[in-house]
Amino acid sequence: MRHKDRVRLLAAVLASIAVVVPLGLLWWSSLPPSAYSVMDMGYADYGGGPHDHAMGATADGSGAGGTVSVADLTEHTSRPADVLVHLVARKQSVRLADGRLIDGYTLNGSTPGPQITVTVGQLVEVHVHNESVPDGITVHWHGVDVPNAEDGVAGVTQDAIPVGGDFTYRFAAPHVGTYWYHSHQVSHEQVAGGLFGALVVLPKHPERDVRDFTALAHSYDGIPTVNGRPHGTTVEASPGQTVRVRLVNTDNVPLLAWSDAAYRLVAVDGYAVHDPGTVTGRTVEVPAGGRADVQVTAPADGSATRVNVGPSTWLTIGPAGATSRPVPVPDRALDLLAYGTSAPLPFDPGKPDRRFVYDIGRRVGLMDGKPGFWWTVNGHLFPDMPMFVVRRRDVVLIRISNHSGVVHPMHLHGHHAVVLARNGVRSTGSPWWVDSLDVDDGDSYQIAFLADNPGIWMDHCHNLEHATQGLVTHLMYEGVTEPFRVGGPSHNHPE
Amino acid sequence: MRNVYKYLAYAIPVLVAVQAAAIALAAFGLFSYMDEHTITKGTQPDTPGGIGFMIHGMNGQFLIPLVAIVLLIVSFFAKVPGGAKWAAFILLDVVVQVLLAFVSFGAPQLGFLHGLNALILFALGVYAARRVDTALATGPAAAPIQAAGEGARA
Repeated sequence: MRHKDRVRLLAAVLASIAVVVPLGLLWWSSLPPSAYSVMDMGYADYGGGPHDHAMGATADGSGAGGTVSVADLTEHTSRPADVLVHLVARKQSVRLADGRLIDGYTLNGSTPGPQITVTVGQLVEVHVHNESVPDGITVHWHGVDVPNAEDGVAGVTQDAIPVGGDFTYRFAAPHVGTYWYHSHQVSHEQVAGGLFGALVVLPKHPERDVRDFTALAHSYDGIPTVNGRPHGTTVEASPGQTVRVRLVNTDNVPLLAWSDAAYRLVAVDGYAVHDPGTVTGRTVEVPAGGRADVQVTAPADGSATRVNVGPSTWLTIGPAGATSRPVPVPDRALDLLAYGTSAPLPFDPGKPDRRFVYDIGRRVGLMDGKPGFWWTVNGHLFPDMPMFVVRRRDVVLIRISNHSGVVHPMHLHGHHAVVLARNGVRSTGSPWWVDSLDVDDGDSYQIAFLADNPGIWMDHCHNLEHATQGLVTHLMYEGVTEPFRVGGPSHNHPE
Repeated sequence: MRNVYKYLAYAIPVLVAVQAAAIALAAFGLFSYMDEHTITKGTQPDTPGGIGFMIHGMNGQFLIPLVAIVLLIVSFFAKVPGGAKWAAFILLDVVVQVLLAFVSFGAPQLGFLHGLNALILFALGVYAARRVDTALATGPAAAPIQAAGEGARA
């Protein structure tokens, strides 16, 4: 009997090991290291283009010999700045425009932070000081194709700025348009809590008589606001005056805007629409992180017109004291695939050097030790993500498709891409330039861009909750090296 | 060891009951919130029974699977006739239940099965626990009441 007991015990121990070890391995292998370079994450995807096994490349990221660090990819000028901005970040209770007190984050004491307005080509220098944000901060210039070292992504282009720390961003505003800035450290909390502001790049000769109004749509603790104010906001305009409303969606989900007046969508993600026609009775969809410049004219009879920014916040555009009336949501949406007229592109997408696939799905698995129903890219779970490798001057095609059940606002840093087709239907309207593109469930987009900005760039979902759930990849130029680490002593957590 | 098996098995129906209570709390909290508010797509409103979602999620994703795994391991040592088999069924059913929960976000119809399967899991737990006494009273292993650990030490 004792022998039998021993055999039985041994069998029980072996059976336990057979249960615990595979589960433990599965769990352990899903844990990311405490500090890692995004370059070591996942696997390289060359998109059918050439690659050197030695990763040799020229210092400008164009292939064949030499390397350059992300940290050295700065603005190549020593001239003094044209625009100097100081931003001080705090974690604090803050009173919104409606008097509500929320626990959040401020820049120079307010949320949204101050709007930065510059003229295209001007050299902007922004001194950022973190006074009291315990997790550290960064500032990412969303949609501005800045040099890589100025991109403000913790653990990828810099270390998070600790409490008491400073960082200076320096870049020449490369393109006119509506942009915004926000923290890219623990961004799902810091952006939701208010660590953001608008950046407007004006042309050298702005249109006369057009009133400019920036509307940052943001939900604080679930309550939608425009520039921190729920419900209505008045934009004063004299009868017949044209107003350019710069809509910025700082939330995680699509924003719908509409108006009782005819409007023109004059720019998307900072880039002008070519020949924008007059639109009535349609919504404009602004992806999370995206911008749309909508131009409306105040009625000539002295009344006011309304622009809805989501279902419960709106702008009343007209003379002081005028009121606007509720406007039902149109059931049709403006399709940018066929809006405006076509215009030549600065590169030929018909002769691509690389073709990438960015296929978003969802499956059950372990991520970071936690069981869940996680996002996948090309079938892989984070951190086993593709690293899209390019060389400078490559023409790059990406087919982004989504069968994960929900919309994903895909945001590529450092570049603007042009939408070529959706679900096989080619774009017939104005070149549709994006840095933030809503890819709905079941949709497939073909986009193209010119690789003209060396560095290591995030290409991720701007539903920042989804980013924390692993919907994050990177675009890398050959020959660029990564001195920063995610995690590590600086506690870099870009998502 | 048999008692450990029994109480762990009984823990399954108890935890399933907590799941039912927690999700009912959360659902009614959400309904009452919806009477007063509009819910904006993508936001997570602070609803009255919101804690119920958290309890259901933590209990269902971590605690119950952990209990089921420990139950299976204990079953190898517990000398309950058929104990390992029923512990394995419980673990399998827990896995099915968690998978059903995940996919139900995309296909809410499957939530129907998630609710039904909860009752099956409840019954499996009760049955496995009760077998400890009934199977021992009638089964061939009834005679030697001796824990495996003691046998090994001797």
